[in-house]
Amino acid sequence: MLDQMRMSNALTLSQPIRVMLLLGALIVGASVLSLNIGFIQLAPFDVLKTVLGQGSERQELILFQFRLPRIVLAILIGMGLAASGAILQGVSRNGLADPGLLGINAGAGLGVITLILFYPAAQASVPFLLPLAALGGAALVIYTLAYKHGEVTPSRLLLVGIAVGFGIGAVTLVFSLRMDPNVYRFAVVWLAGTNSATTWSYVLALLPWTTVLVPLTIYKAKMLNVLNLGDQVAVGLGASVEWQRRLLILIAVALAGSSVAVGGGIAFIGLVCPHLARRLVGPAHQVMLPVTLLLGALLLVVADTLARNLLAPVEIPAGIVVAVIGAPYFLYLLARTS
Amino acid sequence: MSRLHAEALSLAYTGQLVVDNLSVEIPEGKITALVGANGSGKSTILKALARVLKPQGGAAYLDGKAIHREPTKAIAQQIAILPQNPEAPDGLTVKELVSYGRFPYQKGFGTLSIDDKKIIYWALDVTGMVELAGRPVGELSGGQRQRAWIAMALAQGTSRLLLDEPTTFLDMAYQMEVLQLLERLNREEGRTIVMVVHDLNHAARYAQHIIAILDGTVAAAGPPHEVITHDMLRHVFAIKADIIPDPSCGVPLCIPFASVR
Repeated sequence: MLDQMRMSNALTLSQPIRVMLLLGALIVGASVLSLNIGFIQLAPFDVLKTVLGQGSERQELILFQFRLPRIVLAILIGMGLAASGAILQGVSRNGLADPGLLGINAGAGLGVITLILFYPAAQASVPFLLPLAALGGAALVIYTLAYKHGEVTPSRLLLVGIAVGFGIGAVTLVFSLRMDPNVYRFAVVWLAGTNSATTWSYVLALLPWTTVLVPLTIYKAKMLNVLNLGDQVAVGLGASVEWQRRLLILIAVALAGSSVAVGGGIAFIGLVCPHLARRLVGPAHQVMLPVTLLLGALLLVVADTLARNLLAPVEIPAGIVVAVIGAPYFLYLLARTS
Repeated sequence: MSRLHAEALSLAYTGQLVVDNLSVEIPEGKITALVGANGSGKSTILKALARVLKPQGGAAYLDGKAIHREPTKAIAQQIAILPQNPEAPDGLTVKELVSYGRFPYQKGFGTLSIDDKKIIYWALDVTGMVELAGRPVGELSGGQRQRAWIAMALAQGTSRLLLDEPTTFLDMAYQMEVLQLLERLNREEGRTIVMVVHDLNHAARYAQHIIAILDGTVAAAGPPHEVITHDMLRHVFAIKADIIPDPSCGVPLCIPFASVR
């Protein structure tokens, strides 16, 4: 019997690994495709040649300075937002939680817009300052408002987040209307969620956040599993529920804030990816989180490629492409839960 | 003095005092039933005994130490609690749920050790859940689901198991299934079991020790034949009842016939 169980253990393990390998392959495929196509087409062979250092100067410029950083950034942002959503859904025990819906993106947006309004030069020096501004704004939203009697309660978190998100959106709009036209254009495009101005400096700005926070999230997988069983069970199992929930929300805010700072307000990735991951491999976070991360990366690489090419040479913000895919999924979930 | 007990315990929900200055002892190695009317505070007391609810005053003690001040994982290795109607996330399998019972022994990135797996298997086996290990918890019948949760609590490997109304909302056959399982765990493994039960006759039949709670205080405590008296029933439950010896095992059986409210 024990052998039988070991066998079934082994079986349940192979499924998630297959899913992860497949997603990894899809991300590589989408990235290669994304390198190839664009306003200026590069044949696959030219791409390969350029990667191997044999391309022309122009090809190198397009590939390494324009397209590659965008793809890398899309992967990082996709992972960050997806992980943020997974954490928020875990701690709130609500499948509709998402950094966009909880007002975290809005808070981050307000932080960035405030910075740009009072310090327009930040646009240029942006990448490194933005995450901090975003983080400040985002953390402010969640903590001050979802906090009551020393507890952060899940249902309150969601309701307050949604309400505050709208309020902050309004303030952000007022702020951005007071900007001079140039800054305003930057702000509007950025708020819609776009990677169009991406350079390696954006990637470098986000990379430290990702390298610290993503492994930390996976490290917390077991804690998320236990919190998912409800507060009383979690306490009984030896989790310091209040403290862990706060810590995890902070991690989620940092993931979303840093992603929004360099990528703009991209919603729905944090909602859709954890859901799909759960359908693929079940709700145990040690397998569900890695799949969520891969899905986030894949979704945003694809969305960004579409954004760049659908109406080329005009670019659609990637956030809008994601919303076109994500909004119907959200409605579908909403219909199913009620 | 028993190893698990509470002294001068005061408990409140959102500022409302439910239990004031309560002292109670849980006998070691027995099944203890907490009984009382709705709102008497019996569930509240159970929660405090497992540090799920922090006391306003006093404390629950395990081996002389106030449990809410001890490292919570260390307590989780000694006391397991199953709240009322726990809910598993969609799609979670029985096996996964039971494996979460090993949480108090695990660290960050670590995976389940051979010992963990042995205990998980044992917990599935003793609750009769091996065949259902791969099924999602949400698809099980009420009795199976409750057994899955008990298996999770057992995987915690504690010598004390606290359960809040483990038989509520179950069909009668499932109620017996759960109670017999608890009886077996107590008899064969010597586990201390504390349960809040609604049905007094279940308490009389399966528990060796009954604590009757009235308005957050202990109205009576002791073996069933000492606790289940006409006076206690009138006082604690506001009913008149016949008390006859249970034909099969001799414990007091109570048949209510009137309210004295």
